[in-house]
Amino acid sequence: MEYKQKNDKALVDMIDIHKYFGSVQVLRGIDFHVDRQEIVGLLGDNGAGKSTLIKVLTGYHSLTRGQIYFDDEAVNIHSPHDARELGIETVHQDLALVPLMSIARNFWLGQEPTYEVGPFRFLDKKKMASESIRALADVGIHIRDSEETVGNMSGGERQSVAIGRAVYFGKKLLILDEPTSALSVGETQKVLDYTIAAKEKGMSVIFITHNIRHVYEVADRFTIIERGHKLGDFHKSEVTENEVADMIVTGQIPERLRLYHGENGEVA
Amino acid sequence: MMQAYIEGKREASTIGSLVTFLAFLFGILGIAIAYGTAFGWIPLGDRAQILRSDVNTIEIIVTVISLVYAACCLRTAYGLYTREQASLRWSQWMMFISVMIGGAILLSVAIPVGLKFSLLLGQVADLRTLISQDAGGLAALSLSIGEGLISICLFIIALLALLALLVFLIPPLEPLRDQPGTRWIVSPPRKFIQAILTVLGIGVICFLVAGAAVVPDYPGQTTIRDAENHRLLAGLLFFLPAFFAYRVVRRVEEQSDELRRALALTPGKFIRAELAKSPSAGAIIGFVAILMGFTMATDLFLEPSSVASFLSNVATKGVIAIGVTYLMISGEFDLSVGSILGVTALSFMNFMTHGAPVFGVVGPIPAALLAIFIAFILGAINGVLLISTRIPSFIVTLGTMLAFRAITLVAIAGGRILRYSDHHEALPVIGISNIVFIVLAIIGLAIVAFTAYRVLPVLYRGAMQAWSIRTDNGDFGTSGAILRGLALLLVLLLLLAIVVWLAAVLSYHGSASGGQIVEVGYFDLFNGRVLAIGEEGDFFHLQIPRNANVRLAIVWWFIFVVIFHIVLTSTSFGNSIFATGGNEGAARAQGVNVDRVKLQNFVIVALLTGIAAIYETARNPGVDPLKGTGWELEVIAMTVIGGALLTGGYGSVVGSLLGALIFGMLQTGLVLVGIESRLFSGTIGVIIIAAVVLNTLVRGARQN
Ligand SMILES: Nc1ncnc2c1ncn2[C@@H]1O[C@H](COP(=O)(O)OP(=O)(O)O)[C@@H](O)[C@H]1O
Ligand SMILES: [Mg+2]
Repeated sequence: MEYKQKNDKALVDMIDIHKYFGSVQVLRGIDFHVDRQEIVGLLGDNGAGKSTLIKVLTGYHSLTRGQIYFDDEAVNIHSPHDARELGIETVHQDLALVPLMSIARNFWLGQEPTYEVGPFRFLDKKKMASESIRALADVGIHIRDSEETVGNMSGGERQSVAIGRAVYFGKKLLILDEPTSALSVGETQKVLDYTIAAKEKGMSVIFITHNIRHVYEVADRFTIIERGHKLGDFHKSEVTENEVADMIVTGQIPERLRLYHGENGEVA
Repeated sequence: MMQAYIEGKREASTIGSLVTFLAFLFGILGIAIAYGTAFGWIPLGDRAQILRSDVNTIEIIVTVISLVYAACCLRTAYGLYTREQASLRWSQWMMFISVMIGGAILLSVAIPVGLKFSLLLGQVADLRTLISQDAGGLAALSLSIGEGLISICLFIIALLALLALLVFLIPPLEPLRDQPGTRWIVSPPRKFIQAILTVLGIGVICFLVAGAAVVPDYPGQTTIRDAENHRLLAGLLFFLPAFFAYRVVRRVEEQSDELRRALALTPGKFIRAELAKSPSAGAIIGFVAILMGFTMATDLFLEPSSVASFLSNVATKGVIAIGVTYLMISGEFDLSVGSILGVTALSFMNFMTHGAPVFGVVGPIPAALLAIFIAFILGAINGVLLISTRIPSFIVTLGTMLAFRAITLVAIAGGRILRYSDHHEALPVIGISNIVFIVLAIIGLAIVAFTAYRVLPVLYRGAMQAWSIRTDNGDFGTSGAILRGLALLLVLLLLLAIVVWLAAVLSYHGSASGGQIVEVGYFDLFNGRVLAIGEEGDFFHLQIPRNANVRLAIVWWFIFVVIFHIVLTSTSFGNSIFATGGNEGAARAQGVNVDRVKLQNFVIVALLTGIAAIYETARNPGVDPLKGTGWELEVIAMTVIGGALLTGGYGSVVGSLLGALIFGMLQTGLVLVGIESRLFSGTIGVIIIAAVVLNTLVRGARQN
């Protein structure tokens, strides 16, 4: 049951992560890891620092202090591009799509397919249209026209496009930041289905939410953070849904679980 | 109603037959117009003013268009007669086009009349001061006051009449009931009002005609076209029946879904939907409206000299506007372009007269390259300041605008003008070997061949596809196939024309003895006057009228527009520009290096501004320290008229082209119709707001 020893098996291992915005200390020494083919629910109240933690992992923010290992190698992730090279795809909570651009252009943003004419490279618009429609259909989103602007779509549709994109391009790790907050019950179920499908394809998933109900069913493990600290790491077998929900709200580990966990949430 | 007619129901046959007859009539009218124009009975353009014997371009265009129009009308009439389903949609379109033609003819009377009336208003307002000065001419003046007042009254009544006509023509507010037999119900008071307004309207149209007859007698506005009242009749002949028929044809309740879908997309809706796809819808509408307006107001507007003058005037600003559009799409803007222009122009001139730091006095081409390099540095300063300090670009470029301006002010002390002719005896000349022309022609041919290879098969396949699905779609595909076929033909002809021209250049220079040198002015190379295309006696010889000031910068501008349009819409770089301005965070999260994109765009603006500075200086080889002051706002205005959003993420290069053209047309057109040029900035102000409102409306329509 020693998590630290499992780390050689981990896909991602983030150790002692600090992130300060000027004098605001948002992350204060968090250890976080994701094993291969594992779905981790990253939980915590609003403002706990969940989004910041994964923005550090995906190179959107730079680290203040700490070390990240990916695939057993120490990595320096300086930009979202680096993270993508490592096989990490992210659906950010607040940074998903560009509303004034078409579905196809959003889908391929940052990695557009091109063809070459002499020294020049032009967008392969045909491929952009057909592949995006096909890829989104694969994850159950049927769009009529890939030229439609994203701004015209409903919140749920937009979220689905963003998730479909991440699932299509994701190779090793899929990060979903509050993917279900704008979705209906049916759409939420669909997202949970993709999550499991991604795991079955061999990927790991970080599923961020402040609502345990959305993730309890699919997650293998829960990491709870509380105002920049890690409260604890719990296997699904160890805790009930209600206990996790209580921990998120109260920020305290219940009596029963303290037997197993030290102050930092590590096994005593 | 029309559907019932197609299905042979008796009660609908009257209106159905009427529409059929109308289509037939319009067809005949079209033929008549084509015939009349071709044989000079209906003089247009040049010939209307100074009766010349040869047929001019406008007449040829009108003849061809009316022939096509007539053919379409007749085909529609035949279709309705034989009760083809597809003819319903055709008749919608033909009636729509007829309404447009009628409206255009009416406007061509109304616009000159309106203009003359309003200029008259201005005169009357000035009269009071005139009277106090000149007691002797009082009698004559009071006479013209009286006439002026009558004219004003007539004008106001005419406006009312048009308003009434509009009220009469807009659809009834009452929704059509579903029950059969209760259609066309209009609530009684509304009917009453409509009746009154109709009577008023008809009466007032008579006034309008009478008023229009008075106006031409007023002297002083010779550039404004005569109203030619006889056109009113022709206009109404087209407008009213076609409008009525259009409204009738629209009321269809179809059995087959396919037909209903096809007919639900009325021409009006179709055009609106197509416009909404373009970022520069407002600019397109504005461009067409202003072009039509000035063309109808004065015969001078489409003269080669006027067109050349407005193109030449805005070409350099248009080049800068391309860059500013890029920058604005990526969410920033640049107030310092005017100052960059000043510094670049000054450096260019200074390098040729006083010498560059390391190189000494240099020739025009090295000087231009060095000057553009300086522009590059200034743009990079803007960009680096922005991304390193994160201050809004408004502040950064406001600062650099003032700072860069100081360079020119300090360098040219005392507000003198730095002139090329003060330092050199003659303008610089370069000898170009005929080999250069041969190589250029061969490169041109290669580009044409490549374009043909890429474009023609696509067009051909599109046309074939439209043709093959025409029957599956209730024959609606036919017109699409024909249109695509025509487009294919046009592109083919255009390419052929270029090939023939290049071949002529090739043969001309190829047959000359080797090493023959052509002398060209350096400045002419940058922005010279174009006097003719092709050599005398060539198949492709086009002599440009002596008074038309066609500048080479226009050609460069159009080339830049094409290149930058392709880069913006068809490369990854263009995609990241849109993303950076549309949602910077999302762009960054997807791996777009937004800082680099912004820096690149600042550099692009500066480079284009540098090139524009070379054009400006080449056209008039002298630089004063205030060169380019105020340009930044004009260029931003062009860009905004062209549909770019100040908040970023949206816009187009073609929009900036249209914006610049609108600018130029207003500048030239207002002078031609005799409106004071002092009103120019006011007009531009109105146009900016109108264009942005239009753009927003069209975008809003799409959002629904
Ligand atoms: N760019 C930033 N600058 C300063 N403070 C920030 C920034 N981003 C996030 N924060 C702060 O960090 C805290 C955690 O934010 P976040 O990671 O978004 O929380 P969560 O996703 O868990 O709801 C919040 O209090 C927020 O105000
Ligand atoms: Mg969050």
